[in-house]
Amino acid sequence: MSSTTAPSVFVPAEGDLYLGGVIRSEWIKFRSVRSTWWAYAVLLTLTVGIGAQVSSSLSFEGMPDVPTQDAIQDMAVYAVTVTTDFGALIVGALGVVVIAGEYGTGTIRSTITAVPTRLPILFAKALVFAVATFVVSAVAFAVTVPLSVSLLARNDVAVRLDDPQYWLALLGGVGYLVLVGLIAFSVGGLMRTTAGGMSVTFVLLLVAPIATSFLPTGAENVAVLLPSIAGDVLLSYPTEQSWVDLAAPTASSDWITEPWQGGLTLVAWVAVLFTAAAVLLEQRDA
Amino acid sequence: MIEAQSLTKRYGAKTAVDSIDFTVRPGRVTGFLGPNGAGKSTTMRMIVGLDRPSGGVVRVNGKAYVRHHAPLRQVGALLDAKAVHPGRSARHHLLAVAATHRIGAKRVDEVIGLTGLEPVAGRRVGGFSLGMGQRLGLAVALLGDPATLILDEPVNGLDPDGVVWLRGLVRRLAVEGRTVFLSSHLMSEMAQTADHVIILGRGRVVADAPMSEIVAGAEGDSVQVRSPQAEHLTPLLEAEGATVSRAEADLISVTGLAAARIAEVAAGARVVVHELTPLTRSLEDAYMALTRDEVEYRTMQTSPEVDR
Repeated sequence: MSSTTAPSVFVPAEGDLYLGGVIRSEWIKFRSVRSTWWAYAVLLTLTVGIGAQVSSSLSFEGMPDVPTQDAIQDMAVYAVTVTTDFGALIVGALGVVVIAGEYGTGTIRSTITAVPTRLPILFAKALVFAVATFVVSAVAFAVTVPLSVSLLARNDVAVRLDDPQYWLALLGGVGYLVLVGLIAFSVGGLMRTTAGGMSVTFVLLLVAPIATSFLPTGAENVAVLLPSIAGDVLLSYPTEQSWVDLAAPTASSDWITEPWQGGLTLVAWVAVLFTAAAVLLEQRDA
Repeated sequence: MIEAQSLTKRYGAKTAVDSIDFTVRPGRVTGFLGPNGAGKSTTMRMIVGLDRPSGGVVRVNGKAYVRHHAPLRQVGALLDAKAVHPGRSARHHLLAVAATHRIGAKRVDEVIGLTGLEPVAGRRVGGFSLGMGQRLGLAVALLGDPATLILDEPVNGLDPDGVVWLRGLVRRLAVEGRTVFLSSHLMSEMAQTADHVIILGRGRVVADAPMSEIVAGAEGDSVQVRSPQAEHLTPLLEAEGATVSRAEADLISVTGLAAARIAEVAAGARVVVHELTPLTRSLEDAYMALTRDEVEYRTMQTSPEVDR
């Protein structure tokens, strides 16, 4: 294409739309609004602050039985992840805002004009949000662990840090936050309004577990399929003797008991909702 | 170049854009006119793939917009000014859009300079005036240095300086061989900017012609004559073949006779004339005539006294 063939027609410069660029774009957008920083600051502060507070007040003092190491590790995991259910709400709210906020402000129109193939937007957004959430919650736990361990030690609770299950449970907590965030993100993409997305997310995380407790026995087992319950399973310490009641057997009637099962349940939620959000993003007018 | 073929958009039972065909060519400014609800914005949104057509196709520079490898280099669009997160700075918004296409910070600062946004580029968009928002929208449209520009009501909210600046910018872009497609409801503005006009009414193309042709097609020129002896002058002008209508006691509107001839007739009859104003046909007249039956939301006819 030389300029002599068609001097009157403007030839644009080269340069492609590419996935890396879309991810970079989403990262710029993600970090350039205050809501992101607020949400993560609250998550970090609460995790560390309340984790430390709870660690300083937990002990086996006054309990009739002798705690096994299992029960101690179980308590130690609880102390660090005590705020995770609340953290899930913060991360969920942010997940909704990240995508639904674009519709509310109209930014989605410049985004889709720049990336008319659309799906990369959803992937890039989800990736940026998931990685950031992973990093922040991992940092939050990493800061809480030494505090928690030393505070528990003062109460004669000797946590063993060479126990892989302890770290796996904390990793489960990180995974729970990331996956709940992605569930909320997908809901936000489906609802396309911040208010609507938040309502649905909070109903799913807060109201649904309560509602299922009113179901007849047997049917209430479906509650373990809810994200917040599956999340609690995911970050639980697999134990023979729980610190909550040293005398009671830990066997439960629930059919999803292993952390990985809880994790899979959450992944299934993400897969279904994210796919739905992707399909609708493709089909709907922006 | 934008080519639409049988382009259709239906919302339920309502047809917003009804199988329209048109071509917007490079090297000139094409104006897009039509009453509210005629389907202008919907058409523009379909061009850049924001809305999916219910039927037909629209191509930009030979391909569907979605199929371009570098969409922002092909088309720059301003469809909805201030469609930006209010908490984000203008510069960050531009950087984010630029990043998708490997467009660097240098170009971002260039368009910030070009659109006069320097003083506010670092500020959050929430506090922007309508005009600043509009300039940001234009900056986004110009980011990819695109071959085609689609601007929906670009002068909205611009101050008079901005309007003049934009007119110059748009003309220059067209001279560079780009395709410029812009809508406006300001007829006088459009008349000064566009070379070619496409008029939409109720989802159909009512007119698609060069500006000069559209204006020439309007009803005839008239001359406004103010004279204390208007009553005496009227029959003399009618004898010359003119059509005369009376607006006020001393004001008549004459069609079919040149201003010079009217003056001669008046002088010959020793009629005093206070005012002799040739009224040329305007784009507005042409537009009104063409869209008379196409207006969706017509205002009720009110008497002038009530109107004022």
